[in-house]
Amino acid sequence: MRAIVLGVGNPILSDDGVGIHVARELGAKGLPGVTVEELPAGGLELLDLVLDHDIAVIVDAIQTTGGTPGHIHELEEKDFERAVHGSSPHGINIATALALGRRIVPERMPHTVKYIAIEAADLVNVGEKLTPQVQEALPRAVALVEAILGLSRS
Amino acid sequence: MITVAGPIINDTTVKTKERKISIDPITRLEGHGKIEIFLNDAGDVADAYLQVPELRGFERFCIGRHVMELPVLTNRLCGVCPAAHHLASTKALDAVFNAEPPPTAKKLRELFYMGQYTHSHIAHFYALAAPDFVLGPSAPANKRNVLGVVDAVGVPIGAEVIKHRSYGQKVQEIVGGRATHPVFGLPGGVSKQISEEERAQMEEMAKSCVEFGKFTVKLFHDVVLANKDYLGLILNQDAYYLETYYMGMVDKNNKSNFYDGDIRVVDQTGKEFVRFKPSQYLDIISEHVEPWTYMKMPFLKKVGWKGFVTGPSSGIYRVGPLGRINVCTGYTTPLAQAEYDAFKKTMKDLGVTGPVHHTLAFHWARVIELQHAAERMLELASDKTITSADIRGKFNPPKEGVGIVEAPRGTLIHHYASDKDGICTKINMIVATTNNYAAINTSVKQAAKALIKGGMVSPGLLNKVEMAFRCYDPCNSCGTHALNGGPALEVTVKRKDGSVVEKQRNF
Repeated sequence: MRAIVLGVGNPILSDDGVGIHVARELGAKGLPGVTVEELPAGGLELLDLVLDHDIAVIVDAIQTTGGTPGHIHELEEKDFERAVHGSSPHGINIATALALGRRIVPERMPHTVKYIAIEAADLVNVGEKLTPQVQEALPRAVALVEAILGLSRS
Repeated sequence: MITVAGPIINDTTVKTKERKISIDPITRLEGHGKIEIFLNDAGDVADAYLQVPELRGFERFCIGRHVMELPVLTNRLCGVCPAAHHLASTKALDAVFNAEPPPTAKKLRELFYMGQYTHSHIAHFYALAAPDFVLGPSAPANKRNVLGVVDAVGVPIGAEVIKHRSYGQKVQEIVGGRATHPVFGLPGGVSKQISEEERAQMEEMAKSCVEFGKFTVKLFHDVVLANKDYLGLILNQDAYYLETYYMGMVDKNNKSNFYDGDIRVVDQTGKEFVRFKPSQYLDIISEHVEPWTYMKMPFLKKVGWKGFVTGPSSGIYRVGPLGRINVCTGYTTPLAQAEYDAFKKTMKDLGVTGPVHHTLAFHWARVIELQHAAERMLELASDKTITSADIRGKFNPPKEGVGIVEAPRGTLIHHYASDKDGICTKINMIVATTNNYAAINTSVKQAAKALIKGGMVSPGLLNKVEMAFRCYDPCNSCGTHALNGGPALEVTVKRKDGSVVEKQRNF
């Protein structure tokens, strides 16, 4: 199985970087058969990276109405169907990029795409540290990705 | 001739009783990043504003760090054009350390940058601009996107788009070390030599990109310019026309240059207003502050800030593809020059001499620049001397310096000061979209005033207001890319008292 984990975010923008933090922890583990990449944004770059993998796990920050910082949402491609059809001021979103890939190069697309979205507290202030509740969620997010890839030890 | 099924130019308008229309780029920053349009009692536009989000504390974050870290830190500022930040920062370090890069290093930086332009302009034209021009500005929002474009032009063309955008990324990866967050820029040079094998690989990709540039130019002619409705939109002086100053980088012959040169400013008639070196920018540009937005509005110091008005007495200027094409006399590469000549001739035949003030001509200029970037990429990748090991110059004790490049979106300025140990003591950046901010505001207000009359609105009409803003390829939310923060827009029509009449979303 060819697996890729994509940590999406900005590592100098507080909790926006949580996906990058997860990716770095996973990368340091040297998981067999798993490619780990850091990505600053969604869009077409993401499409380039997921091609020719069987499974892709996208780890990113999220803010939902009334969400608790540190809460981990497990989402799938279908959860973003409503987000697919958007034209935008400066880029296309992850869901649109994946839909584009499924249209143009379906045979090279992963059969499974999972999202691990970690509820963020601060996405405004420049800084390299996560807020405490998001920091606390980090090991759980890492373990969850490993479980999805069938690599957990337990 | 490339043809597409009849695009939808207009839709049915309905009368709104609302007095305030908001177009919201949805971000997690509540109350930030939106266009607000205020209607008067007659339902005509009284005023319009674009508010954008800004990150907090970046300057403070950089001060006290070693200046050598800045090319890697500043490129994290933005997920859309990290390559431009990396190069502007690297050039600022050239100046801080008074370090002249050897010819090979300059060529590698420029080659890398042509990869960035190729990828960025392809993404904007096909994913962001084409939905309006292929499907039509009034096509339903759920069709007016890149997937709809692929449906209209066909999967093989979509595959070519993806392929060539990836080539641009690949060139950046080979030269810059990483595709998205490059690490190769050093004061006085670059850190990585390239092999002959890599050079040959880039030459092949560049050849293909030149062909794709030709295809894109043809597509623009066949689909956009040959359609009289689109030509009418581009030429619509009520909605999309501002007589401003223009700014952009040129070489010694006034040919457009994205990587290096002097900054040239022309006036509304095309006459040179000022030509300056990066280190002089503070003599030329001042920044105006408005109470309703975080973003500052740069203007020409000698002319002064006169508000959101145009003409010779207003210091507002425009940058980006339209700014660059208006300050230059053409391009150093043959295909781009030929298309520049076609652009000038077409406009002349339509009675336009001097600068092209038509805001939607940004798109045409961007397509010409894509052609130039691909041709220049091929020139540089075909140069067998770029594999030389002579990639670092000498440097001196650090002081202060300014670096400027043309980001795909416009002139990008980095200015740092360092103490004797290389610790950053001062940093100032003026990014491309900031340079355009006053003009974008003015364009949005103009389009809204021209298009919304008597309270009559429709999704297509509001999208035509957005088109006045989208053509600048603005990149407002530097840095944040959380899942829910995806680029989307919401348009809300409100009454004078703020209550909502109608909402349109594209997400």
